[in-house]
Amino acid sequence: MARKSSLIAMVLLGMAFASPAFAKIRIFACEPEWAALAREVGGNRVEAFSATHKQQDPHHIRAKPSLIASMRHADLLFCSGAGLEVGWLPILLRQAAPADLQPGQPGHFMAADYVSVLEKPAIVDRSLGDIHPEGNPHVHLDARNIVPLAQELSRRLAIVDPPNAQVYAEQTDAFVRRWSHKLAGWEARAAKLEGMPLIVHHKSWAYLVHWLGLKQVATLEPRPGIQPTPGHLNELLKISRTQPVKAILRTPYDPSEASGWLSSKTGIPAITLPYTVEKGAATGALQALFEETIALLEKANKADHAGQ
Amino acid sequence: MIRPIFGQLSAVVAMTWLVSPAFAQDTQAIRKEIEALKQTYETRISELESRLKDVEEKKKAHSAETPAPASSGRSVFGNSFNPSIGVVLNGKASSFSRGTSEIAGFGVGEEGERGKEGLAIDESELNFSANVDDKFYGSLTAAIVREGGEDKIELEEAYIQTLPGTGLPTGSRIKAGRAFWTLGYLNEHHAHADDFADRPLPYRVYLNKAFNDDGIQLSYVLPTGFYSEIGGGAFRGDDFPAGGSVSGLGAWSAFARIGGDIGNSQSWRVGGYVLGSDANGRISNEDMVTFIGQSRLYAADLRYTWAPTGNPKQSEVILQGEYFHRDDDGTYEDADAGTGPVAFDDDSSGWYIQGVYKFAPIWRVGARYARMSTPGTPAGLVGSALDSGGHDPDTISVMGDWTNSEFGRIRLQYNREELSSGADDNQLLLQYIMSIGAHGAHAY
Repeated sequence: MARKSSLIAMVLLGMAFASPAFAKIRIFACEPEWAALAREVGGNRVEAFSATHKQQDPHHIRAKPSLIASMRHADLLFCSGAGLEVGWLPILLRQAAPADLQPGQPGHFMAADYVSVLEKPAIVDRSLGDIHPEGNPHVHLDARNIVPLAQELSRRLAIVDPPNAQVYAEQTDAFVRRWSHKLAGWEARAAKLEGMPLIVHHKSWAYLVHWLGLKQVATLEPRPGIQPTPGHLNELLKISRTQPVKAILRTPYDPSEASGWLSSKTGIPAITLPYTVEKGAATGALQALFEETIALLEKANKADHAGQ
Repeated sequence: MIRPIFGQLSAVVAMTWLVSPAFAQDTQAIRKEIEALKQTYETRISELESRLKDVEEKKKAHSAETPAPASSGRSVFGNSFNPSIGVVLNGKASSFSRGTSEIAGFGVGEEGERGKEGLAIDESELNFSANVDDKFYGSLTAAIVREGGEDKIELEEAYIQTLPGTGLPTGSRIKAGRAFWTLGYLNEHHAHADDFADRPLPYRVYLNKAFNDDGIQLSYVLPTGFYSEIGGGAFRGDDFPAGGSVSGLGAWSAFARIGGDIGNSQSWRVGGYVLGSDANGRISNEDMVTFIGQSRLYAADLRYTWAPTGNPKQSEVILQGEYFHRDDDGTYEDADAGTGPVAFDDDSSGWYIQGVYKFAPIWRVGARYARMSTPGTPAGLVGSALDSGGHDPDTISVMGDWTNSEFGRIRLQYNREELSSGADDNQLLLQYIMSIGAHGAHAY
């Protein structure tokens, strides 16, 4: 009898270890921006984990062991979609994800399915580079997209965690109100940025360019996913001498050599925009991301660089 | 674009004309107004036309990003359900300083032998994969290889695997069919994903390149905070290191592994594996050497990756090592040397360690060392292919590769092999690996 009860105690202890009594909804976000949005919508009812961090190109990571473990424990999956995570997410989903996280389930949330996707190619051929047949996946940098995504996330959280549905709805309303207010301010500032000519490293900025009405003159990569070549850079050098370019943009994970070289030849400032938030960013980080991005663009737009 | 707009305009103008004649005194004013409208619209239309011209010119330049005409071809909706199709093209140019290459002290299968000298294509792989339904996933990989002057199809993998929707406990899955089963690090991976142009010695000797028998495997990712997985399988027993299955159930395996991250830029995984096989005829050395008996293979692997900047696309260090230990208990016979069946009960081991450094997004260099410890030679096998002459085979390799995109890689590799005593072999390999079609995902 004593043996039996100690066995039961052990099992109970094990269960307690595996799932703490007041379990938070665990959100597996593929990128830090989605983890940050999940914290805004879910507040203290959720625990959001990001599979990648700011220094990583989310298209190029591996299905590493730690991610298999995180995926196994997740209650909701929140990613960009449109092929951005195609190199690793399918493996995680097949290996260890709970059934509720599989495609088609409420726990499987792909941002690109809920916003209008830019740059859907009609001709899909790898000679054009690593293009995604689904369109450009870097959807978060159009700040207007954040609103429908927050609302959809709230709707899905309500399905996954019905007791807290009211809380999610209220938090989302409050967030959307704050966001809409901010959005108006950013868009007012963006009026002065309209038509700002830019050279970008990779097509990571399509949504920002589209939203703020900037002008993407060229990309440092000759084709998406193909590293800049000397020939292509010389071409860009010619372009930037014949037409005005205000800045050369890259993400924190793009290599700096190409933009540094072009900047040194032309005097056009090479700037690293934040692109996303820190991995464990607190609430408010998403707003700060757009604040900083716009401030850096404004600064570059005002400056009159030597090359012109 | 322009024509319909023009048509609508004239309709609107005509309508305005028709509804207003009642007020005759206004006719003049209306005419003037219409004239003015016409003027405005004509300017607007010519403006639009010039814009259209611009757009069409741009369209020519960026044809990839503009939508195709709706009637560009036949729409076959049945194709929407086609599986992902991927093709891997693989070719090599090899130069060897020695005419022959024998791994002393071991019975080595056909795939474990040195590759072809000169120009040759390696395995060309064809892969088809897709979800079968909500409960199963299926995949088939066929390799087209040239053996004995003929192109043959080798079925590398043909398996189904349960999806999490099956209702099995979270974290568990069953794979059945033929597959590169979980055993060490490289065995689960297709050769095109390898960091070197050839498999290291222990894979050539113990697994005839890879173990992909017919069978079934169960694996379970444990509900721990870090990654831990256990599993095991049962196999037919026809593939090296088994062979000549009589019962159709001649091999089994078990494994356990754990892994995790160190900070933001380092990951690791270690594992232990065992593969037991009942060999009713493990045929090697061009059908000359036969082993009959029990064979047990133990393996341990370690893989560690470090991205110095946190971004593995930019630069990365990969360290990988595997250790194998084999226990053979049965009889060996070398028909070539006319030994007759000779009782054999001994063990041997082999290992390799390799490091690869990606120092720029498209450039990587790597080095590998592999060594085998041969078993003792029973009196009856002296002078046969299984007589190592006290020599432990080893190879040292260095490679450099260039990766233009995720889908294309060219590699140059140098090997210095001493597989039998005094038999130095300097090898130079130039290899390309290109993949077309589906964007395959690769495991850690």
